[in-house]
Amino acid sequence: MTFRQFAYRNVVRNRRIYAAFFLASVFSVMVFFLYSMLMFHPGIGERFITGITLIGMTAADVVLYVFMLFFLFYSMRAFMQARSGEFALLLQIGMERRQLGKLLLLEMLLLGAASTASGIVLGFTFSKYFFMIVRELLQLPALPLYVSWEPFLMTAGAFFSLFLLIGLLSAYIVSNRDISEFRKGIGGEADPFGYSPGRAAAGILLLLSSYGAALLAGRVNVLYLSVLLPPAATLGTYYFFSHSILYLLDLFRDQKSLYWKRARIVSLAETAAKLRDNANMFFIVAIVSTVSFLSVGTLASLATYTAQYRALNPLGLVYESFPGNPDEYEHVTGLMEELDDAGLEYTHVPLSVAREDSSFSGQPINILREGEVNRLAEALGAGPVQLSPGEAIFLPYSTEAAPRLRDADIRTELEESGVEVHVQGVVGGLLLPAYSLGTNSIVVSETDFVKVASAQPDSLLRIHAFDVPDWEETVGIGLSIEQSMMMSEIQQGEALPYYFKNPGLDYSIIRSTFHLLLLTGLLVAMVFLLAAGSFIYFKLYTMLDRDRRQAAVLKRLGMTEREFIKIVNRQLVPQFFLPWGIAMLHSTFAFISLQAIWKEFADISILKEMALVLVGFTIIQLLYFYLIRWRYLAHVKGPT
Amino acid sequence: MPIVSIEDVIKIYEGKVTHRALDRLSFDVEEGEFLAVMGPSGSGKTTLLNLISGIDMPTSGRVMIQGTDPAALRPDDLARFRRKELGFVFQDFNLLRMLTVEENIVLPLTLDRLPVAEMDARVKAITARLGLEDILHKRPDEISGGQEQRVAIARALVHRPSIVLADEPTGNLDSNAAREVLDLLGTINRENRTTFIMVTHDPIAASYCDRVLFIKDGAYYNEIHKDDRRRTFFQRILNILSLLGGNVDDLSSVRLP
Ligand SMILES: Nc1ncnc2c1ncn2[C@@H]1O[C@H](COP(=O)(O)OP(=O)(O)OP(=O)(O)O)[C@@H](O)[C@H]1O
Ligand SMILES: [Mg+2]
Repeated sequence: MTFRQFAYRNVVRNRRIYAAFFLASVFSVMVFFLYSMLMFHPGIGERFITGITLIGMTAADVVLYVFMLFFLFYSMRAFMQARSGEFALLLQIGMERRQLGKLLLLEMLLLGAASTASGIVLGFTFSKYFFMIVRELLQLPALPLYVSWEPFLMTAGAFFSLFLLIGLLSAYIVSNRDISEFRKGIGGEADPFGYSPGRAAAGILLLLSSYGAALLAGRVNVLYLSVLLPPAATLGTYYFFSHSILYLLDLFRDQKSLYWKRARIVSLAETAAKLRDNANMFFIVAIVSTVSFLSVGTLASLATYTAQYRALNPLGLVYESFPGNPDEYEHVTGLMEELDDAGLEYTHVPLSVAREDSSFSGQPINILREGEVNRLAEALGAGPVQLSPGEAIFLPYSTEAAPRLRDADIRTELEESGVEVHVQGVVGGLLLPAYSLGTNSIVVSETDFVKVASAQPDSLLRIHAFDVPDWEETVGIGLSIEQSMMMSEIQQGEALPYYFKNPGLDYSIIRSTFHLLLLTGLLVAMVFLLAAGSFIYFKLYTMLDRDRRQAAVLKRLGMTEREFIKIVNRQLVPQFFLPWGIAMLHSTFAFISLQAIWKEFADISILKEMALVLVGFTIIQLLYFYLIRWRYLAHVKGPT
Repeated sequence: MPIVSIEDVIKIYEGKVTHRALDRLSFDVEEGEFLAVMGPSGSGKTTLLNLISGIDMPTSGRVMIQGTDPAALRPDDLARFRRKELGFVFQDFNLLRMLTVEENIVLPLTLDRLPVAEMDARVKAITARLGLEDILHKRPDEISGGQEQRVAIARALVHRPSIVLADEPTGNLDSNAAREVLDLLGTINRENRTTFIMVTHDPIAASYCDRVLFIKDGAYYNEIHKDDRRRTFFQRILNILSLLGGNVDDLSSVRLP
């Protein structure tokens, strides 16, 4: 038997212990691969992979990679712990440490090759469905399956390097240990209640003060908080898992009347042992879950931006033609043709806008015509205005501005034409967004408008407003105009005599970007979730022998089935829900402060989306918990 | 009425090869008796203890303890019965590794919801008798094999069971420590009329008992009763062991203290 055969057989024979580790790796490879498929998709790249999306997706890739590194490292350590008896034996019968290291490296590479290959195959199988879901989410016309070497190479390369790294690390660890250390079991011999009181207190204090500070956000300097809070909370979390929690359990242990009660003695000590053993892992899971909750929650709230966006952009298309624009007719008819070709219904309302200085404020002011404004109001479903000569009414530039203008009562003379108007009240509803007209507009009666217009017939501005009920479908309309605008911006030439805006197109880009980021966030969070769960399961699995014998002892001491399940619950629940609960708490407080900060920028409430995200993740976690508890109980009670 | 009665018990392990671990075994144990069970390795001694405690069920035949058949009890009642009436010392893996010595000992009491003061008192009493006071707050990994075995004995006795089942309780002890433990078990046996069923390979340990039951290949082989002098009892045990085919040559030279 060659050495390589020995390594191979070792993996195959230890497959039960390896199984959870293997499955988790396969899953991560699969997600990573799907992700790379998306990133390198020709249809996606052209449209979206720009700016923030690229940063977001690359960041997610890096985070995935780093997390996998941690995950594999901890799994490898747990695996070595489970097999330390075997290692001690091999060393005692004369295997060299270097050989043992080589054995581990070979094993890891073998496992890595198998899981990478399986993950890629699985990923490729599912990519068609994955693309279908993505297409739905991003509302793309088509997202065909494609074959290119980049995703394959990237995934294989990433995971090969990961497994190589982990294998080298395990070889290094194993060749620096003594036999006696293996016999005790790596990390298995420590007192479950060993902690430092100072750090235990520091952990609790840091967490409490971070939470307190988060509640005060918005009142205190935001910048201050955003620099200080995350590190403080992270350090607090670390101490909490490695010291504070053991301290709390130990406090409980001193209360014999509480502790010496039924199965508690076992479940508490067991919990302490497992928490201590996995403190680092739990810390990472808690922090990473917090970050992913936060990003998913934030992205989810941005993705529901629609309502606000529509309110700010009541019109389907807006084309503004400045005086002396030779292309006006051509552009407008072009737009109408494109709308007809796309089969979209629309109402075209041309508006004339005159511009004069107001004697009241000394500022320029836009003047619109009663009849035209009423036609637009009718198209948008708002109430008409009725004006006699000499009367005028404000046209609001945003929904917030309307109430402020309502009580206005201004008498002014339009300086160029000498028309005197009495401006009173505001038009109900937002008709023209701020970007098309600026902030100072009034509507005057037909008679007055004719006077104003004839004073400067050459400087009239024309606005072509298109109301399109299916405004989200206008994505392809007016692309040529948009392009020539972009060209002139790039060349920084003379300002163009027209301006065009297609909110539907902008909206679809914003929306798709957010959705792509959201999808990324969800995928990453999923991987964390499953990896954390698999790790717990894996840990349980490696300890199964010991747990089984323990179960046999307890059974003989007269522990009932129910009490036994209680013990299992009590040791599984903290492992599943403690990192979880801490992450939830962190995210909740972070969101409270984020909400406060957010309010300053935009009037968006993220409460509902956040609650949804947290509830959704909790449900998945619960399902996962019951699945693993079921498997674990079956294993512990089952035949050896 | 016997406290334990084994009637025609057969235990067959199904597997790749079916194995008959116990074969039509019958015997009684009287209340307050100190019984030793001897037999070659693999003769079914541990299997027998498992049947008495209701961990395993006989394939046929009947096990009666205090007039009840554990096989007929509901699982929870069986567990309750075990925690009240039975004490255990295992052949291997005795203590829970993450608990301290004290916690290991108190474990059976906590299952029964005794007041804390009472639990403390009982732990003190039993650890004093077994000389474990100094290691109460150590964990199993930090004590010697012999100490571990004594802790296991303390745990088996702390809740004052009416029957104690012990699988090689002195296997890890030197002859002095073994004698002390056996003396202690004898005292408890006399004072509390606790019934002991002790599996052992050690003829010296067996000579402390009222009766020795020999089994071979899962079947009843022989039994002998204590007589006035331990030395002759010991010699008779050796004789039967040599008939049983166990390797006792090295033991015949052992001088009883
Ligand atoms: N769970 C099991 N499944 C199958 N066979 C078993 C099982 N337990 C024990 N046996 C077999 O039954 C026989 C009796 O086993 P048992 O453990 O009772 O022996 P023992 O008398 O206690 O031996 P020792 O003195 O070595 O402890 C052995 O041959 C063993 O291989
Ligand atoms: Mg045995």
